[in-house]
Amino acid sequence: MLGFLFRRLGDIIPTFFGVTLLVFFLIRLIPGDPILMMAGERGVDAARYAELQAQYGFDQPIIVQYFDYLMGVFQGDLGKSFVTKKPVIEEFLTLFPATVELSIMGILFAVILGVPLGVLAAIHRGKWIDHLTMSVSLTGYSMPIFWWALLLIMFFSTTLGWTPVSGRLSVLYYIQPTTGFMLIDTLISDEKGAFISALRHMILPTVALGTIPMAVIARMTRSSMLEVLGEEYIRVARAKGLAPIRVIMVHALRNALIPVITVIGLQVGVLLAGAILTETIFSWPGIGKWIIEAMNRRDYPTIQGGILMIAFLVMGVNLIVDLLYGIVNPRIRHKR
Amino acid sequence: MALLEVKNLTVEFGSEDKPFRAVDSVSYSVDRGEVLGIVGESGSGKSVSSLAVMGLIDFPGRVTADALTFDGQDLLGMPAKRRREITGKDIAMIFQDPMSALNPCFTVEAQIMEALKVHEGGTKKQRRERTLELLNQVGIPDPKSRMTAYPHQLSGGMSQRIVIAMAIACKPRLLIADEPTTALDVTIQAQIIDLLLKLQEDSDMGLILITHDLALVSEAANRIQVMYAGQLFESGPADSIFAAPRHPYTQALLEALPERSEGHDRLRTIPGVVPGQYDRPTGCLLAPRCRYANESCITARPEVRDFNGRDVRCFYPLNDQGQPTGLTADMATGENV
Repeated sequence: MLGFLFRRLGDIIPTFFGVTLLVFFLIRLIPGDPILMMAGERGVDAARYAELQAQYGFDQPIIVQYFDYLMGVFQGDLGKSFVTKKPVIEEFLTLFPATVELSIMGILFAVILGVPLGVLAAIHRGKWIDHLTMSVSLTGYSMPIFWWALLLIMFFSTTLGWTPVSGRLSVLYYIQPTTGFMLIDTLISDEKGAFISALRHMILPTVALGTIPMAVIARMTRSSMLEVLGEEYIRVARAKGLAPIRVIMVHALRNALIPVITVIGLQVGVLLAGAILTETIFSWPGIGKWIIEAMNRRDYPTIQGGILMIAFLVMGVNLIVDLLYGIVNPRIRHKR
Repeated sequence: MALLEVKNLTVEFGSEDKPFRAVDSVSYSVDRGEVLGIVGESGSGKSVSSLAVMGLIDFPGRVTADALTFDGQDLLGMPAKRRREITGKDIAMIFQDPMSALNPCFTVEAQIMEALKVHEGGTKKQRRERTLELLNQVGIPDPKSRMTAYPHQLSGGMSQRIVIAMAIACKPRLLIADEPTTALDVTIQAQIIDLLLKLQEDSDMGLILITHDLALVSEAANRIQVMYAGQLFESGPADSIFAAPRHPYTQALLEALPERSEGHDRLRTIPGVVPGQYDRPTGCLLAPRCRYANESCITARPEVRDFNGRDVRCFYPLNDQGQPTGLTADMATGENV
């Protein structure tokens, strides 16, 4: 168990170098000079330009710049934002809870809806309920997030007026962040109605973000469930005289979930990518929106830091999934 | 009254208007303390008929019978919930492949205790004690440590013992063993059969032993039922069937036994395969493979009839010398197809 953990942690090292390398060089391929961007429309004279270049280290060869950056990262320094001049890590940590909150809600939505839908489709295989759930999930899977999010806003917020259009909380309330998670902060605060407001702000972004993972999970659950239902041990379980519901929920689902858990882990990466779009559309103050804004301003340290942190996050989640896998699947547990 | 009474059991799959009969009007009965051997090649409907008895045939399969009673209770007419109370408690079944019969996600203990919990209740402690007792009974060495083992940690023979323990957990009155030794090593096979027969004797259970191993049923069964392509071909007491088969198919099966091929260069076989859904003969289902078949066998389908105290489905059942009877003189002379 411990050996496995260390091996997996060891895998993170090459991935780390890969990510820094990619991010560092790729953003420098985007046209646009950060110093000119900062200078704005008035521009900057040559002497000042050279001075600024030296200040940010842009006069150095790019390899040297990369190693400087790496050295910083090793010391826990992700650099300072060109725009706000604040340390990247500090900004990241301020905005991160909003993204985590949204992602957790998104994945919860996806799992809570996707798994039962998949099970339902599997046990009613070939009947209308199966066709319905599978076409809904295929539609969900094929829907571009930004378009789906706009549709949701147009229908539920604009036409029906059921939910707010954007943001995390109504302007009527002011909540001092304690945990950074709005649902928790509003719940423990004294402001009446703040929690409901936060919840209502949560709904549409959650749905928009969770739809694709939900569709993937539903399809995966269905096919995995169908396979398991054909197994001999399911017949044996029925031969014991167990109620059908117990056969499905205990004997079949437990086995069917093994591949689904892997998929859920992979979906976390998709979710974070989706968060960038979702946050932008819903003006959600999280790292997705933050990175998009940083890109527009060629704020190199912010982009690098943000993406590096997301990469770590995805790796961390996958590690957790692998550990979980061992808990669910005894065959893997005992191999170690 | 017999423990299990099956009359004209039919199991159909496929569409209403063009159904495929996997089991075709099969009748048999099993009594307390009796061992019934059901033999036949693969695809002869042995397993499907016993699944029907267990109530495990799913839609789109259709089960019909003139009578399907257990201890006088009509199994087909009763509500599903009541039937589940019988299934797994009074009637239990052992399946062919022990390695896939156990759920890989649960421990041995959990899987045995589950049946006990559903049918007998009791405290967890009682169930655990009973499980330990069962594992002892089926001859598992060091049962205490096996309780918490997962199926992938067990060998095939061990798994089959666990499966048997699971089946006899609630002291069933009828046990159906569907090819319980097919997936096992030859050395283990005998042990498992001995175990099954011992359990059967000790508790006076009825036992249905489904197999394609004739040598096995000859030793174990009181009565034998020979099935072919979903139909009953011959049934009667085990020793008399072995002494003098009445059906040409039974005769051919017996001749195919290696020990009966002594003095021959090759093992004798039955040419062809069991007809499936799409290649059913119009007449007797065996006709294309039967060495005695003639014109009437190809055009008409024989019914089961009594012949010298044996149920036989053949126009020309065999006499003690193994020669077909009832053939008219001209048919007997060379009109064999």
